[in-house]
Amino acid sequence: MTPKPLQNCGKCGLCLNVCPVYKILKQEQASPRGKLQLIKAYDNNTLASSPLLKEIVSKCLMCGSCAANCPSGINHYSKFMEMRKKMAEAQGETPAIKSLIYLLGREYRLKFGAGLARTGQKFVPDSFAKTFKFGNIPLKNFPKLNSIPFRKANDEVIFPYKRQIGTVIYFTGCATNYLYEDTGFAFIEILKHMGYKIIIPKDQTCCSIPLLFHGAADKAFKNIITNINALKNHEADAVVVDCSTCGEALKNEYPRMIEKKGQDPSCANKIASKVIDSLSFIDQNFDRLEFDPNVTDKLSVTYHAPCHTRNSFGSNTLAEKLLSKLPFVNYKQASDVNECCGGGGTFFYEYPEVSKKMIDKKIKNAKAVQASIWITDCPVCRMNLSGNLDMNDRLQVLHPLTLIHSALKQI
Amino acid sequence: MLDVQVKNQLIKILGADRYLDRLEEVACYAYDAFVVEALPDAVLFPETTAEVSELLKIASRYKIPVTGRGAGTSLCGASIPIRQGIVLCLSKMDKIIEVNTRDRYIIVQPGVVNADVQKALLPFRFFYPPDPGSMNTSTIGGNIAMNAGGPRCLKYGVTIDYVLGMEVVLASGDIVRFGSRNVKDVTGYRLSSLFCGSEGTLGIITEAILKVMPMPEAVKTLMVTFDNLDNTTKAVTDIIGSGIIPVAMELMDKLTLNAIEDAANLGLDRKAEGSLLIEIDGVKEACEKEMNKVIEKVRQNGAIHIQEAKSDIEREKLWTARRSAYGVFAKLAPDIVTEDVTVPVSKVPLMIRQIIEITDKYGLKVGVLAHAGDGNMHPMIPANKEDKEEWAKVKKAFSEIFQAAARLGGTLSGEHGIGLAKAEFLPLVMNKDTIDFMKKIKQAIDPDLILNPGKFV
Repeated sequence: MTPKPLQNCGKCGLCLNVCPVYKILKQEQASPRGKLQLIKAYDNNTLASSPLLKEIVSKCLMCGSCAANCPSGINHYSKFMEMRKKMAEAQGETPAIKSLIYLLGREYRLKFGAGLARTGQKFVPDSFAKTFKFGNIPLKNFPKLNSIPFRKANDEVIFPYKRQIGTVIYFTGCATNYLYEDTGFAFIEILKHMGYKIIIPKDQTCCSIPLLFHGAADKAFKNIITNINALKNHEADAVVVDCSTCGEALKNEYPRMIEKKGQDPSCANKIASKVIDSLSFIDQNFDRLEFDPNVTDKLSVTYHAPCHTRNSFGSNTLAEKLLSKLPFVNYKQASDVNECCGGGGTFFYEYPEVSKKMIDKKIKNAKAVQASIWITDCPVCRMNLSGNLDMNDRLQVLHPLTLIHSALKQI
Repeated sequence: MLDVQVKNQLIKILGADRYLDRLEEVACYAYDAFVVEALPDAVLFPETTAEVSELLKIASRYKIPVTGRGAGTSLCGASIPIRQGIVLCLSKMDKIIEVNTRDRYIIVQPGVVNADVQKALLPFRFFYPPDPGSMNTSTIGGNIAMNAGGPRCLKYGVTIDYVLGMEVVLASGDIVRFGSRNVKDVTGYRLSSLFCGSEGTLGIITEAILKVMPMPEAVKTLMVTFDNLDNTTKAVTDIIGSGIIPVAMELMDKLTLNAIEDAANLGLDRKAEGSLLIEIDGVKEACEKEMNKVIEKVRQNGAIHIQEAKSDIEREKLWTARRSAYGVFAKLAPDIVTEDVTVPVSKVPLMIRQIIEITDKYGLKVGVLAHAGDGNMHPMIPANKEDKEEWAKVKKAFSEIFQAAARLGGTLSGEHGIGLAKAEFLPLVMNKDTIDFMKKIKQAIDPDLILNPGKFV
């Protein structure tokens, strides 16, 4: 079925109460409905490009909650990305965002940049690291970069511990590759434990979503082609991701972008049909997990549902179900489990005053359930949650894969 | 743009961050959920009653139009600044001041969202009955100004039935308070009734004392289909006639059922001419008994299929079918218009038939939903606003629908209000003396006519 391109915003306002930014600012221009109105005015030439217009359009977490709840079925997500592209072209980007786009556009730059940054982290004086903040997050709370990029540290093909039951392609994403290798190693161990052969295509690169969010559509498209080429030649039962944002890109944005460029979408569609997030994959294979019988103490665990897990995969309730099923977990639901944390890619850096209000609320409610572990399956949420906690909060932020891996029976 | 001298005075009260007048900002206050748009000169965000009072004094002095706004979900254009001037947005006055379930009230500022009132009451097992479709977004100030209703108002009544008292700032800046924390209070005029439903033409509500209700012990939900539209509504009147007032009785016609089924595949009966979603609440035993009676009554009226929700999940599923109707119709065309004409319950099938006849005549699609227990209908017409010819037909069709409702002894609006959408049709249901009487009230309270000008009065 072809989608109806003409669908207009009926201005019912049902997106207001699901928009994390509107709920803080309580001003219409912060809302999805307001942004659509401005985009329409800009496209009709009744509103000119301006720094303010660019700021209003960018003041959005790209969480997708508006699109997921729109009765008229409007795809805000792609409308906002297109508008961001127009604004980046008309107004330019800040130096910080420009360098991010520069890095993400080429894998070798990213590798080189990460190396430099790691060296930098070693040499930053402690006094500076303690007081300097990146957005809301004190520098000292930033994750340490992986000493070797995750994909370099692993073979391209990894065989299971037991009889092989299938093959998966692992799209690692930048966060696991450069920042959170624990997620990646845990996932590999879990997959080996289940009996899957794992292929980690070496020439994969940034999924392109950060580039699309910042309007760099041409650079994004190059990454998309690189990734499709990297993935298409391997035969596998599934393409697994540990980051829902990468997953959303592979599943929805790649076929859409390829089609928009008038190219043959069959490879993108084939990949898209196999994409699955790590938690859904584990849930489908739950019976293959054997837990260490010596782990008898129960950990009290709470969860933060990333917006992209909720809106792109609908697997947020699945995460909670999965956590409740784990024999070593005492799951405690926070009252605002489904609320956005304010991380949103680079949102926490660009709009710290809005982001701070969201994260403070999240921390308050997570502490209220008295859990010791805070689980979340998005690297930006993880950075934002852990970056805003301090030592006294006695709450450790982990990816669910790391938690599950920690209790597996040794084979 | 407002005169720079006026602008400076307003900014002196609010500070620059709560005064918006750049095009990129005010463009987002030109609309609500109705189809007309008009740009305001400035948007102001007061945070206290004193600020509202100061702002209105300035607006009065310079005779600047002031249009109140909450979340901007009005379906009749009540919050559109059709004469430009100031949009006074109360969204930042969003504090819950007191929750007191022992004395059965809650005190809130106007910008508190309806759903947040429910959330605040939930731990005490109380609720606030009015439940407009927009309740997750719309504010109490707007709900009161529009006298909002909703599905469960059949049993529980509409907003006015739950307003115990209010604080209102008049155009002059005077601050008046009436009513009290008491469920019974006949001191003076019942001014709540004057301001509730005044659509922002008489004053700006800055605080409200709302009556709240204990949650019923049990809820039961049924979905029933009929092969005949007359029987569907006869069942409604029979149920009420037998002494049972359900929480809600939601009717969907054949077209609506089929459109939902096309889109969502929920297993609804495609051949049914009408369906009813019936919900009963109360003490567990009474609920059982009433449900049996309801089933008896729908059977007597030839129900072909009766499905009772056995769990909360099943209940949610039945309601999802009903709630998805708007979205399903909204997706059929680029735009959608929905109205809320209301007729005596016994006239519901006749009204539905006339709606279908009228829309057929103009070649338009229509789906009819109704809060059947109170005769409140929602014809939904999907169309394309850019298609001038089609849009003109939509307007003509609604004009005829209003006339048909009036002929059946009905009224223009059951819950959305008059605003811009239906102002011109007022003479269909009100005589000249009555309209003049409303004008006199307006002139007495707002002599410079600055509050929400260009609307129904």
